[in-house]
Amino acid sequence: MEVTKEEITHLASLSNFSLGAEEITKLKADLENILRYISKLDELDVKGVEPTYQVFEMENVWRPDEIIAQDADREALLNLAKDSEDHQIKVPKVL
Amino acid sequence: MNQKYDITIGIECHVQLKTKTKLFSEVDNDARGKEPNSCVSPVDYALPGMLPRLNGEAIKLAIRAGAAMNAKINPSSRFDRKHYFYPDSPKGYQITQFYHPIVGEGYIELPSGKKIRIEHAHLEGDAGKLTHFDTYSLVDLNRVDTPLLEIVSMPDISSAEEARDYCKELWRNMVYADVTNGDLYNGNMRFDVNISLKKPEDKKLGTRAEIKNLNSFRSVERAVVYEYERQSKLLDRGEKIKQETRGWSDATGKTTSQRSKEEAQDYRYMPEPDLPPLNLSEEFIKAEYEKCPALPAEYRTRFADIIPADTLEVLLDYPELVSRLAEIAANDRPVDYVANLFASVLLAEENASLLNDPLPTAAQLTELAEMKAKKELSSTAAKEVFIKLFEQKHAGKSPRDLAKELNLIQENDSAALEAIVDAVLANPATKKAQEDYKAGETKVLGFLVGQVMKESKGKANPAAVSEILKNKLK
Repeated sequence: MEVTKEEITHLASLSNFSLGAEEITKLKADLENILRYISKLDELDVKGVEPTYQVFEMENVWRPDEIIAQDADREALLNLAKDSEDHQIKVPKVL
Repeated sequence: MNQKYDITIGIECHVQLKTKTKLFSEVDNDARGKEPNSCVSPVDYALPGMLPRLNGEAIKLAIRAGAAMNAKINPSSRFDRKHYFYPDSPKGYQITQFYHPIVGEGYIELPSGKKIRIEHAHLEGDAGKLTHFDTYSLVDLNRVDTPLLEIVSMPDISSAEEARDYCKELWRNMVYADVTNGDLYNGNMRFDVNISLKKPEDKKLGTRAEIKNLNSFRSVERAVVYEYERQSKLLDRGEKIKQETRGWSDATGKTTSQRSKEEAQDYRYMPEPDLPPLNLSEEFIKAEYEKCPALPAEYRTRFADIIPADTLEVLLDYPELVSRLAEIAANDRPVDYVANLFASVLLAEENASLLNDPLPTAAQLTELAEMKAKKELSSTAAKEVFIKLFEQKHAGKSPRDLAKELNLIQENDSAALEAIVDAVLANPATKKAQEDYKAGETKVLGFLVGQVMKESKGKANPAAVSEILKNKLK
């Protein structure tokens, strides 16, 4: 089960982080091991078996449409961000 | 529009649903006029350990919206994660219904009668709002996880006008169904338009470009016209169309490339493990489906032959006016005159502010229409009374009392009218006109009627005056 360097670079860019050459080599081996392990499942015949989305067998769980006061206020939440300005989260230019 | 190429258009529309709280958290969903980041919970911030809690009302509104697009509701639906990295989404993914949407196939019928098929519609959370500056961007999370219904049409639309008509009809249906505030200026409905061109003889569709985030019917129409020009020029030169996302600027009237789809977007969809699936009963779906009120198409049928089609199309943009007409019609009272007052007086530019005032009741409007029909009020007087009914000091007043107060009741009593006519005819200033009329110059009758009207201070019924004059001048 081969994972290419390109696939790893692609995944890294989708997740918005950069990887050094050494990390890529290490990740390549790790990911290949994980996939090999998981691919054991391919040996099972699952014809006609509905996909399992969750194991709790719950359904139709929803709440009423009522506003509930929050414990965490605006400033407390904004303080969690690295930087803020005018009550907004400040981030490096993205476009 | 040039017909050298066939144009194929499909439209995705994001409708913000008017729930009280957000789709996955119990905070205020209506952030209009509120401070940035003031309607935000730890769930919206995606703090570690926070779990989404699904809003039941959003499910109900989605079903009602489905009814408003003649759609099947899928009893089984579920949520998925769509991963992308951008500061407008603290979670790093959007919760959406990629594999199993709640609303299945349906259609929207345009005023022209053409049906645009709906492929499906699904529930999802909105993203936050970014404001870009020179070296940084600011993030407001008020809009994070506002419930959206994304409505995906089939590529059945084939002109700029049709694209505009579809968006407008969809907007009307969603507003009549009362699932959204429908405030386009505030982004309550946003349109993504997919456009491709092909030669008429080609079977295969051309490569499409997607114009994102249009928020008015006019922008949709203009963007399609512009894209047709842009793509046809490329095709004329034998160049290829790039599959890409483009943005529209109202100011320049142009679309510009935003990002190419060649670096294939890879959202890594996976089932949302924190939200159990929906398996809705037939009764539940039926109950919500039946809450969908009368839609524009029904009013077109109901008012056909009563209200001229072009007048009705104008009025259909104002659900409150149409429902008032329906109320009058339900009492077996004629609506044509009231419809005319709405279209020609209330919606006239100079009276635009009246729309902010409470609308006169069905009873008031019916009485006004009857007074006009019985010629107790002239056209001008009826319009004056109509406008005054919007004033707070006249709220709830009967139009008859108001007309009396304003001294506008028209004189129909023929004895009284004849006396005025006699007085006018006795006036030497009208002598020449009388002679001209008798000599066959019937046009001067208008002048004489005018003199009588003046004498009666506008209260005489001109048609009655005209008859009396004709008799007297025989």
